[in-house]
Order: sequence, then C-alpha cells, then structure tokens
Amino acid sequence: MEDQLDREQTHLTDEQFTGLLLGTSPSTVRAHLQECARCSQEAERVSGAIAGFEQQSRLWAERRAASLPALEVDRRPGFAWLYRPQAWTAAALTVALAVGIGVSIRQDHRLMVHQQVAQVGPAPVVSPATLKADNELLSAIDGELRADASTPASVYGLTAATHGARSKAAKRMSNE
Amino acid sequence: MQFILNPAMIGCVSDEPTLTELDDIEALDRMYRSRLLRFVAYSTGDQDLAETIVQDCLLKAYRGRESFRGDCAVYTWLAHIATNLVRDHQRSRKFQFWRNVQKTAPDLSEMSSLLPSGESSPESQMLARESAQLVSVALETLSVKQRTVFLMRFIEEMELQDICQATGMRISTVKTHLHRAVKAVRLKLGGRA
Repeated sequence: MEDQLDREQTHLTDEQFTGLLLGTSPSTVRAHLQECARCSQEAERVSGAIAGFEQQSRLWAERRAASLPALEVDRRPGFAWLYRPQAWTAAALTVALAVGIGVSIRQDHRLMVHQQVAQVGPAPVVSPATLKADNELLSAIDGELRADASTPASVYGLTAATHGARSKAAKRMSNE
Repeated sequence: MQFILNPAMIGCVSDEPTLTELDDIEALDRMYRSRLLRFVAYSTGDQDLAETIVQDCLLKAYRGRESFRGDCAVYTWLAHIATNLVRDHQRSRKFQFWRNVQKTAPDLSEMSSLLPSGESSPESQMLARESAQLVSVALETLSVKQRTVFLMRFIEEMELQDICQATGMRISTVKTHLHRAVKAVRLKLGGRA
C-alpha cells in the first residue's frame, strides 16, 4: 500500500508528502511526523511557505483590485446605440455632411450647364446696313463671275464646237 | 470565443446565495474580483493581462447568469470561466509573442512589509517572506495545468471535486498535476523531492 509506511522506510515518500499537504493522508503518515523531525520540519517549512505566499498574494490582489475602477455594465437592452447621444450626434453630422456635399455638387452642375447654354444661345446681331452691304458684295461677285465666260475647255479650242453642238441639240429639241 | 457551460458541472451544492450575487454586477465585482485577480495573475504571470481577463470573466458571468443553475459555488463557476479565458489567451499566437515582451508579473516584495508580524522573531519573519517568494518563483517553472491546480487547491483552497469541475479534468489528473507541482515547490524550498 502506498499510504502505509514500510518498516524499512525512514521518511515520507513524495506521494505521502503530497497527501499530507492535501489533507488526505492516513493516520500512519501523520503519526510518522511525530517521530521524524526531518519530515516534520520539511512539512512545516513547505506548508508555512505556501501559507505565506497565500497571505502576500491576497494582500497584493486586494490592493490591486481596490485601485481599479469599478466594473460597469450597460444594462440597456438591444439597440443600445439608440440611447447614446454621441451616436445620434455623429449620425446627424454625417447626414448633414452628405447633404452639404450633394447640394454643392448639384450647384456646380447647374453652373456648368448654364455656362454651356450661354455659349451656344444668343446669335450675333447683324444690322440691316451690314446685311445690305453684304448682299451688294455678293451680287457684285456673282455679276463678275457671269461676265467671265472663259472656261478651261476654251483654252484648247473646244469652246465653239461644243457650244455649237449644244446649240444644235437645243434647236432640235425646240423644233420637236 | 464563446463560453459554454460544462455539463459536467453538477453535483456541487453550495449554501451561498448564488442567484442574487449574479444579478448584481457590483456585488459580483466586489466579492470576487480580488480573488479572481490573484488566481489569474499567477496563472498567467501577467497582472495587466489578468485585469483584462478578470473583467471579461465577470462580464461573461453576469451576461450568462441565466445559464448558471446554482448547483455549484459561484466561485467555482467563475474559476471555470476564468480558466477558459486564460487558456484562450495562451493559445492565441499574439499572446505567445507579446507575453514575454510586455509581461508584468505580480510583485510580492512590496507586500512583505504588510504581513502581520505575529509573535515570531524578525529573523523567522524574514525567512517566511523569503519562502513565500520562493513559492512564487517555483510557480513560474510549472506547466499551466500544474500551476492552475496548485493555485486552486493551496491558494484558493478549493476542494478537489471543485477543481475537477472548474478545470474539466478528472480527479486522477488533478492529483497528478498537484503531486508534480508540490514536488517542484518542495525542490525550490530545498526539500528532498
């Protein structure tokens, strides 16, 4: 048996020592401590060290926990963002910004269209005097062109024959 | 990351007025924060991380209070949540990297002067403080599971059955980890282990 001390055994085994610290050791193990100073001193040293550690770590944790802010829980149910003024402010600012940008873009677009219309809209105004002068000029040019009967064909002496053939054909057509 | 109650957490009956504690977040915070903080701080070796985990733990417990059936102590339930949170943090690769860079281990040296002197001599008080420091150093050499069960048993004074429920380990596994942890502490204290 692991928990029973052998007659030849002089000190506690590791398992028996652990059982002693856990408080699960049998009476024979506890009785051994009465007789063995070495095991007794070691048990006292280890349990004392653990107890000292427990005490110091507890003090540390109590101090540390006291220095931290209290835990807060948002008890509001779902859609908690509905209750946050910052969220509403941010949403309003976003909408205002979006609308502002939209209006600005729209105005720019209107200006551009207006400028384009202005470029093609009103025709240039011409006075009657200018119009009359232009017509006279055009009539003069037309007259000069009519007066000039020379053609490139006349240069080669084809003008009369061609003109004559054309005249004959005209006469024939008129006779018919 | 979602906390799921261990179905094995049954059979632990407590006399504590459990449900009223869980309904009041301020009371929950006041009663268990320092205890959880110590457990998590020495489990992780990082007091800043411990504060975050404890806060998460208390909030999870409060928000999931309807799933608590009252068949074990509130602290056992909280320790179960905290153990899961510590494990999640230790699994994350980010934690693995930053753990050694930014670790702020709890410093017990400043607490030594606050210990009650009792009737012992100054020499024996000093020896007791040094021994406590050695326990702290020995804890750092333990594995996570060994450290967890050692803290639960010897520092939080939880029963073995409660440790099983809080950690999800079998009792034989808990005893094995405890045995190895005690052996390491004894060795650090100059014992025969």
